[in-house]
Amino acid sequence: MKLTRLGALVAGAVLVFGACSSTSSPAASSGAGGGTIAIKVGIELPMTGGEAPNGVPTANGVALALSQITVPGFTITINQQDDAVNGKHNANQGATNMGLLANDAQVLFVVGPYNSSVAQAEIPVTNAAGLIQCSPANTAVSLTKGDSAVALRKTNPSKIAYVRVATTDDNQGAGGADIVYNTIGAKSAYVLDDTQTYGKGLAQGFADAYTKLGGTILKTDSPPDTTTDFTSYVTAIKGVNPPAVFYGGVTTSGIGLFRKQMAQQGLTNIPLAGGDGISDGSAATASSFLNIAGDGSANTYSTVAAIHDIPNPDKFAADYKTKFNTDPGAYSAPGYACTQIFLQALKAVSSGVTDLAKLREAVRAYVADPSHSFDTVLGKVGFDANGDTTQHSISYYKYDATAKDWVFFKQRDFIADPIK
Amino acid sequence: MTSTAAVGVAPSRPSLGRWSFPVGILVSLVVLYAIVANGAHEQAQDQFINALTIGAIYALIALGYTMVYGIIELINFAHGEVFMCGSFVSWWLLTTLGFSGAISDPIVLAGVLVLAFAVSMVVMGVVGVVIERVAYRRLRNAPRLAPLITAIGVSFILQNIIYVTVSNSIITIPQIIPNPVISFGPVAIREINLFVIVLAVVLMIGLQAFITRTRLGRAMRSTAIDREAAQLMGVDINTTIALTFFIGSALAGAAGVVQGLYFGITAFNIGFQAGLKAFTAAVLGGIGNTTGAAIGGFVIGFLEVISSVYGYGRWSEAAVFGALVLVLIFRPTGILGQAAGDRA
Repeated sequence: MKLTRLGALVAGAVLVFGACSSTSSPAASSGAGGGTIAIKVGIELPMTGGEAPNGVPTANGVALALSQITVPGFTITINQQDDAVNGKHNANQGATNMGLLANDAQVLFVVGPYNSSVAQAEIPVTNAAGLIQCSPANTAVSLTKGDSAVALRKTNPSKIAYVRVATTDDNQGAGGADIVYNTIGAKSAYVLDDTQTYGKGLAQGFADAYTKLGGTILKTDSPPDTTTDFTSYVTAIKGVNPPAVFYGGVTTSGIGLFRKQMAQQGLTNIPLAGGDGISDGSAATASSFLNIAGDGSANTYSTVAAIHDIPNPDKFAADYKTKFNTDPGAYSAPGYACTQIFLQALKAVSSGVTDLAKLREAVRAYVADPSHSFDTVLGKVGFDANGDTTQHSISYYKYDATAKDWVFFKQRDFIADPIK
Repeated sequence: MTSTAAVGVAPSRPSLGRWSFPVGILVSLVVLYAIVANGAHEQAQDQFINALTIGAIYALIALGYTMVYGIIELINFAHGEVFMCGSFVSWWLLTTLGFSGAISDPIVLAGVLVLAFAVSMVVMGVVGVVIERVAYRRLRNAPRLAPLITAIGVSFILQNIIYVTVSNSIITIPQIIPNPVISFGPVAIREINLFVIVLAVVLMIGLQAFITRTRLGRAMRSTAIDREAAQLMGVDINTTIALTFFIGSALAGAAGVVQGLYFGITAFNIGFQAGLKAFTAAVLGGIGNTTGAAIGGFVIGFLEVISSVYGYGRWSEAAVFGALVLVLIFRPTGILGQAAGDRA
């Protein structure tokens, strides 16, 4: 049968596509010598294609920290990995990269990943290897809490090898609900998610908080992250005519095009709010939400799952600008903070220890210990028994037509001021 | 080689004669409208137009797949990338000419549109011919897997050329067609949708006329049916195959311009997804059959819109590829494909 064979060929071709697109790993050369121990910080972020506005500023934060802070007795270089495949973050690629980092004995600490779906694939790897990873940006609740989190840590259920300095989507969703209900003043909303770990979790966090506030969800929809044409969803919005739209998902899933098509059909008067997945730079940043949405950027809101009012914001921004000649991204400071946490842990545990495997475990145990706290660019950060940050602040942003960028307007701490 | 799948028109069913095809299309459209209307209510008309528009884009790309398969039995996996490159050609042209938004003067608009389509279609047509000459011709008598893998290689090359030399991220293309709603009695349609649908239909009718009414078209059909016999009858095989690549790639180039006009964005990696859908359309319709490819494109457009209209948007791809599986099980040659002998 000709066509069944043809089907097999297609399947084969798809496999080839997948297999051929793995990225090369530029292993940093170790500059050992002079009595110092050569070690590495792994960076596992999406660095290319539509993900560049996410990964690059975050990785820059790590590089900035390493250039400013030294630990006596160690030469620290970077082992950089990229989990973007064809310009989009890819969970399998993330797990492969994490395997490479775990097998590199000099890697004592990893910063990353950016996306929760990638973290889901990586946590079992780092848990088994006992290699601590610090995510600057992951927010999905299921990564650290509940049965799903225990299932991810199946090799060593009691050992935490994954911590994050971004807070979780129950808080970020509450921030979105706060914006939609109070800032926009919409008592009912249309909710979209991109079917990914992060997007579904954020939409759920939003729905929980929004109904608690008294809001009504008119309709939900989940266009898959491979959708390239949103016109039918946009037309459906016309029928519902919601006072606001909330989106759980990331820009690479297509929300920029979605908003652009809303503008094309004359629906920019309906406000759209989303999480940190769309807070990815100004309209001048290639591939960012605002860049793609164009005219549709009017009336849009976003949040960042990190503290905005950091202790010395001007110094950090100035240092960053001096080194990279551009403004920091939303998760540059959290990337910097992860690195600070590692370096402080390394200082605390390294006296007399030269064995890399022992150092790796000592660093992991020190960071994961809930009794420790760290001085970072974000302020004081500690981790609870699940590995979640003790900071529960969400920053709110609104699009500003003059700046053509997100402009911060409010920060809310959901420990001190929860949704009631 | 017992070749069968001809580049040509649909075989007419003897019972209804020559009217079976238009009547079938009309009945299908009415049924599809009813299905869409049942889910979309007041938005029925808009959703129907959305489906026709996206279907038209898939159909334009699918035509190139099916033409190449019809003539040399190669699944040209680089075809989606040709579409992608076409969108970059139109982006380059429009931004070089200094346009950034809608053009209100209809004469200037018409001129720019003609220029954009002409440039993109000719450039991509030539690229298609070059690909055939460089990559596929010398493999024409090789085992089938060799040209297939070569095609995948060519798609990587095209993707990476754009990735390295132009842009590794999503870029915005000026949407030069102003987008008012035009009303024809009870039918309200946006200008861009009308433009895309009419353009696709005109190109398809033109292609069909070319294949069935001209000497070169006859050469293409005869080469598809039996290459050696056609050669013995004096058909220049190399020119005919090159011509097929030119036309197929030019249609993909046109679809690339439409991508820019309709969506306003492009990226180095859009070819894979679009190519996969268009390939599915070609197989659904009966690969090797141009009318089938056009129908397959519209079928996919409707499947996507219908799944979203009924609130099952997340299943839209399952619907598309599920339909492909069903067709391959119950009608392995596709909707309009003829029974084919084993030839692999």
